[in-house]
Amino acid sequence: MIAEKGVWNRLRTRLLFTGPTLFAFLTVMIVPFVYGIYLTFTNWDGIATSHTLVGFQNYGEVFRDRDFWQSFALTLKYVLFSVVLINAIAFALAYALTKGMRGQSLFRAGFFVPNLVGGIVLGFIWQFIFSKVLVYFGTKADIPLLSYSWLTDPDKAFWSLVIVTVWQYAGYMMVIFVAGLMNVPNDILEAASIDGARGWMRMRKMTLPLMVPSFIVTIFLSLQRCFMVYDVNLSLTNGGPFKSTEFVSMHVYEKAFLSRDYGVGQAEAFVLFLLVAAVTLLQVYFSKKLEVEA
Amino acid sequence: MNKIKGLQVLILSLLVVMVVTACGGNGGGKDTNASDSGNGAGNASASGKAVKITLLNSKGEIQTQLEDAAKAFHEDNPNITLEIQAVPTGGSPFERASALYASGNPPTMIMLDTGDVEKFKDRILDLSGEKWMADTVANATDLTTFDGKNYAFPLAIEGYGFIYNKAVVDKAAGGSFDPSTITTTSALENLFKQIEASGKKALVISPMDWSLGAHYLPLAYAGQSKDPAEVNKFLDSLKAGTADLANNKVFNGLMDTFDVMMRYNLDQKSPLSGAYERGPEVLGKGEVGIWFMGNWAWPQISGFDTANGQYGFLPVPISNNPDDYGNQEISAAVSKRIVIDKEKSTPEQQEAAKKFLNWIVYEAKGQDFLVNKASIIPAFKNITLPAADPLGKSIQAYMAKGKTEPSMSTLPADHWSKVGASMQKYLAQKSDRATLAKEIEDYWKSVK
Repeated sequence: MIAEKGVWNRLRTRLLFTGPTLFAFLTVMIVPFVYGIYLTFTNWDGIATSHTLVGFQNYGEVFRDRDFWQSFALTLKYVLFSVVLINAIAFALAYALTKGMRGQSLFRAGFFVPNLVGGIVLGFIWQFIFSKVLVYFGTKADIPLLSYSWLTDPDKAFWSLVIVTVWQYAGYMMVIFVAGLMNVPNDILEAASIDGARGWMRMRKMTLPLMVPSFIVTIFLSLQRCFMVYDVNLSLTNGGPFKSTEFVSMHVYEKAFLSRDYGVGQAEAFVLFLLVAAVTLLQVYFSKKLEVEA
Repeated sequence: MNKIKGLQVLILSLLVVMVVTACGGNGGGKDTNASDSGNGAGNASASGKAVKITLLNSKGEIQTQLEDAAKAFHEDNPNITLEIQAVPTGGSPFERASALYASGNPPTMIMLDTGDVEKFKDRILDLSGEKWMADTVANATDLTTFDGKNYAFPLAIEGYGFIYNKAVVDKAAGGSFDPSTITTTSALENLFKQIEASGKKALVISPMDWSLGAHYLPLAYAGQSKDPAEVNKFLDSLKAGTADLANNKVFNGLMDTFDVMMRYNLDQKSPLSGAYERGPEVLGKGEVGIWFMGNWAWPQISGFDTANGQYGFLPVPISNNPDDYGNQEISAAVSKRIVIDKEKSTPEQQEAAKKFLNWIVYEAKGQDFLVNKASIIPAFKNITLPAADPLGKSIQAYMAKGKTEPSMSTLPADHWSKVGASMQKYLAQKSDRATLAKEIEDYWKSVK
């Protein structure tokens, strides 16, 4: 059908297949995105019926907003720990669950389930665990570390967020790793064994290089999701105690809707978009270079 | 090939139809709303078509009461269906309302905080001509009047201070406790000591940012002077960066009281762990004698009540001189306002919404909902029902004596969140008073 004659005929055939998706993509992604960039040049407060153009003033404001950069630094720290832990734990789980132990499908499903729970609900569940359940056991068993809520201490609240995020995403990444591990050819591993490579050596020289494509995907996914985290942040700590765990998405939201500085908030969102896009593209570019042929 | 072409055309036209109808459904929604929702009102009176209106409720504690009121209103006006929407907990009505406006689907009525009304004034109805305007209490609509037009319906008067559990303080005082004796910080501390001596804890500080940032700290602004113009001048000097908070007498007095509160706080070990729900529980059960909160907390306290409904308010003292302004006064003001959308609502919906507001003020059922069911202190002179709950009664008693201090209801929108965070830091002893004063000053300098 692609061979049909005439520009119109070809266009029509293509539109038939891509049209609906293209339409949805344009209306819900591209148009709001462009309109959002336009709003960064205005002083709109989010509700007024009129606004004026202010040029690059909002961007100047972004670079002067110390809180924005502080929460960005905090987010970086969170992303670093979360991404490393998510991938390490997910890989370990996947490795253990491809050994052919009894009931491994059940375990796989079990570890995957947290990913099916929405972030908001998950945050509330863990809030209850951190501020009630653990405190209850902590006071009963007289463990000082658990005898008051982790969510009221800036450092521990940060680690609570990391723990919950890892718990949420490790199962999802595990599924990707499981698929990757099943595709590592057995003959290569056997050949390596015959050559005398054992456990760790086989893992490092054979399995890991062949798993690079999976790692690219999982690191990309976890990077992007952790940078943009909002739901867990909102329902678990709500930025508290005293704004010490306010990640950058939440800061942008509060700038736009709470401080009613929509233009600056939108400009911050755009700056954030550029930074995250740069980080993830760099990650994909450099890890592509690590890929090997089996 | 021909067959395939025919199929193509069929699918294409189907798609087009789907897209068109989907769009049409959205665009025409607001027009058809009025007519197709009338099924419930089979015997709609001849006076008009069936109308469906919505109210965005931002007083979460009266959600069920409002839903019941909507049903009662529907019985009185079978052709009007009122649906109550709720602002998600923790969200502000402004956020929700502006999001709904941005999506082109605003509710007919929105319950806003006083300071938010001005932002919406291009989108909402001028209510100056309404009948209830003549019956409001003094100054109730001053803050929502712009260019001589009032844009909002004053729903509730709310006040806050120290709520005491009479059973606990009576026992501590060894006899009948007289609230009028607590007019200084040292008298308050003395009361705390007496309560502790009687084997209970003195008070619980609820560490929510809105409580500390929107209610407790603003007492330092409102207490500057009896004259509202002086208070505004003080806020202007804060914005200009010329106010010296660290050496301000009222601020320091208020924080001295806060230091005393922190020393006797039930949750001293982990001051930030308590949630709102803990306050009414420990106060109602009599585990503590005092809680800093407002009269809106009655529905929750009553669920745990062990003091036979005997509660009342104490002022928050700011010095050791009983005659200083604020030491005998309770902070109170009209706090929630209902506005009517004029942008997307049809004239019928607007009329129906006005009818609902009048129903609250003038109909027996409406008044019963307001005062008895929702425990609201009305802002209307014609409603003579006495407050149904002890906290409302206590506020009304202070109002009758003229012992009220206007609450700060037009602070910048993010004040409660930013300053509340600084207060939490102070409460957790992660900062000292100089840092707190500096953070508050810095916040005000950043306000546009």
